[in-house]
Amino acid sequence: MSAAALRVVYAGSDGRVSVAISSLDFDVGPQETLGILGESGSGKSSLAHALLRLLPGNAKFSADRLCFQNDDLLRFSQTELRRLRGAGIALISQEPALALNPVLTVGRQIEDVLAAHRSRDQRKQSVKSILRDVGLEDTARMMRAYPHQLSGGQRQRAAIAQALVCSPSLLIADEPLSALDVSTQAEVLELLKRVKQERRLAMIFITHNAAVLEGLADRIMVMRQGEVVAMGRFGEISASDDPYVANLISPQKTLAQLAAPAAITASGEPLLQVRGLSKKFVQSRPFSRKSFTITALEDVSFEVAECQSIAIIGRSGSGKSTLARCLAGLEEADSGEIVANRTNGKNNVQMIFQEAGTALNPRFTAEEIIAEPLLIAGKLTPEQRMERVSAVMDDVGFNPEWAGRRAEQFSGGQKQRLALARALVAEPRVLILDEAFSGLDVPAQARMMRLVLELQSRHKLACIHVSHDLNFVSLFAREVLVMDAGRIVERTSPSRLLESQNPVTRAIIEQSESLHAIGLEAVL
Amino acid sequence: MIRFISRRLAQTVLLLFGISVVLFLLAEAVPGDYFSEAQLNPNISANTLQALRSQYGLDRPLVVRYGYWLASVARGDMGYSLAYNQPVSQLLFPRLGNTLLLAVPALLTCWVLALVLGVLLAGYGGKWSERVFSLGSSALLATPDVLLALLALLIAARTRLFPAGGMHSLATADSGRLSSARDLAWHLFLPGCVFILSSLAPIVRHVHAEMKEVLQTPHVRAAEGHGISRLRVLFRYALPAAANPLVSLFGVSVGLMFSVVLVVEIVLGWPGLGPMLLEAILARDMFVTIGGVLLSALMLVLGNVVADFLLYAIDPRIRVQP
Repeated sequence: MSAAALRVVYAGSDGRVSVAISSLDFDVGPQETLGILGESGSGKSSLAHALLRLLPGNAKFSADRLCFQNDDLLRFSQTELRRLRGAGIALISQEPALALNPVLTVGRQIEDVLAAHRSRDQRKQSVKSILRDVGLEDTARMMRAYPHQLSGGQRQRAAIAQALVCSPSLLIADEPLSALDVSTQAEVLELLKRVKQERRLAMIFITHNAAVLEGLADRIMVMRQGEVVAMGRFGEISASDDPYVANLISPQKTLAQLAAPAAITASGEPLLQVRGLSKKFVQSRPFSRKSFTITALEDVSFEVAECQSIAIIGRSGSGKSTLARCLAGLEEADSGEIVANRTNGKNNVQMIFQEAGTALNPRFTAEEIIAEPLLIAGKLTPEQRMERVSAVMDDVGFNPEWAGRRAEQFSGGQKQRLALARALVAEPRVLILDEAFSGLDVPAQARMMRLVLELQSRHKLACIHVSHDLNFVSLFAREVLVMDAGRIVERTSPSRLLESQNPVTRAIIEQSESLHAIGLEAVL
Repeated sequence: MIRFISRRLAQTVLLLFGISVVLFLLAEAVPGDYFSEAQLNPNISANTLQALRSQYGLDRPLVVRYGYWLASVARGDMGYSLAYNQPVSQLLFPRLGNTLLLAVPALLTCWVLALVLGVLLAGYGGKWSERVFSLGSSALLATPDVLLALLALLIAARTRLFPAGGMHSLATADSGRLSSARDLAWHLFLPGCVFILSSLAPIVRHVHAEMKEVLQTPHVRAAEGHGISRLRVLFRYALPAAANPLVSLFGVSVGLMFSVVLVVEIVLGWPGLGPMLLEAILARDMFVTIGGVLLSALMLVLGNVVADFLLYAIDPRIRVQP
């Protein structure tokens, strides 16, 4: 496949025009893997959709040349394009949970792809063999399963099966790993490498995580704001001097810069004490008498003091989010106690949620969002409120000119800052960050982390970082608590983390290392 | 499942009971009764009226009357109509049959039309077709049902292609089954059309809006990315995913069917529940009124039950997992 002067422009509803891709040239040879690397908002996903000519109605697409196997895609009719999609070029979309239809079985959805491109015979058989191929062994059950009955990794495998079932020669994978937890990421990556080998696929692999491209991509194209910044082999790219490229390729360098403010002195008095916290969920299904109990928390105890950070890590389902919700008072624990140091009778705990974007009302302006906790507390005059809001915006490095913009108009990183500002305006002493940065790419994560560390020392905050992997966030913590099945299985410090003998901890470390997603060595 | 059904049944019975109590209280609050108008007639003495009232039990206390009525419901009579001089059930049920004969096929046709129109428009519509749709459906929404019915009457009277009321022609009364069915369909056409037109606009707008939203979702775009044809994507991938709120709307529309059909029946002379209910209200024929209202409440509950089951059938996320 090759393209020349590819350009995609979005027309906003308010008449503004934003350029997603400006004049892009590239080519992918047979069996070659092209890695496309870039920050969020660099036009990577627009590119994936543009190649399949699947852009939404408000997008304008133009190119001098767009060829696939000697066919000119620019001259293709809608029907010809439809025949090509799935059969010649297949797409694996970003979020596996969202890319499968919730009301149709997996078997049905894979079969429909076959039905669109192949004749009737052998369909059932091919569906089964492709499911086995992507590592979904229990084919009969998988075919009957609905997406919500599968785990994240199984869903992604099903989506890959759907893409591969018609044996395409080019596979476009648009951030296929970003929504999965680390262990599943490693498995899916392994699978993609294997099918690429076996089926002699050409692949365009889009990601913001340079590490996964190292063993996979033949060439890498680095994108920034719709333009190509660098192109070449992994070695060539990683030797680049461009700070943007360097940031993307080796977050370790960024981490090293970060290590400086990490030296925070802890003072004695604990701000938050948790003793013997337990919580059970009883679930019952509609039309059924049976109910089953899930132990989310069992006898959890720890404490945090002023200026201290602790990190709570664990796989999904280990109870860490329930713990965070209990601490924030959103959930009532069954037994045990949470003692917070309540100065001026205020609730001192604030929480920042997993996905900042969904935790902000899209119709509110930035100013309204930040002012809301004050409005609810209701003690300040409007002037005092505005003063506090602008002080906090200054604190988190939020451009005051943006105060009147609506939440939906901000990028992921900006939304994260907004969420941070909203938490800070209530003057908390304890800040809970529930996977707060996991949706961001590595450079943005580093920037946010630096900001949080600064704020922590400035406002003498206690921070609790909740995370599913050994995100570098956990490396600045005084204590690392590893959770599994509702219990704390290990208490350790970042420096002793790598020597840990605990199987749960080891598993998490190994998965994190296999992805090179963190730069443990660089910091420790 | 059985528990669900039995709970639903118990709820329905309780609801109907409550409605009947409220209806009795309301009827009591209305001044006068069936014999009030006869008071104006100088030929009927006050004594005669008193005798009539006590004969029909209208002079008893409200609670006693309610008790009698409940007993009669238990027998399946649903009270006694003073105007028609027969048990209410004998009056209501044939009329109910006529109403359902008109409303059910019309409602189903309306939904099929709305689904096809809404889906195709959301999937293929351009700027202009969307504008025409928006204008047309707004106009239809703003038009009162009565006006549509009168318009239908006008068409029938001018063109003489369709009968201007009734359910059967005299000529075909004794002819074979086939020709009388054809005659019935011929009579059904205009009232059916009016019903469809008056219910179509809100439904089709909902379908269109839901589809527009679902077409933006990643899974629909992914399905297109796999080269599945547009029509299949629309009806097999997008529509079921958009169905949940529409199914709830379907339940509501079954409930509302009675109030829409009422106007159509009265204006176009269809011998259903509508005209009878109107007469009964005007004549203060209390038990017929109560029976009619109870039937329409029952319809509303039934509509919601049907919607619940449909939801259960369409959405696997709601279904029990084995």
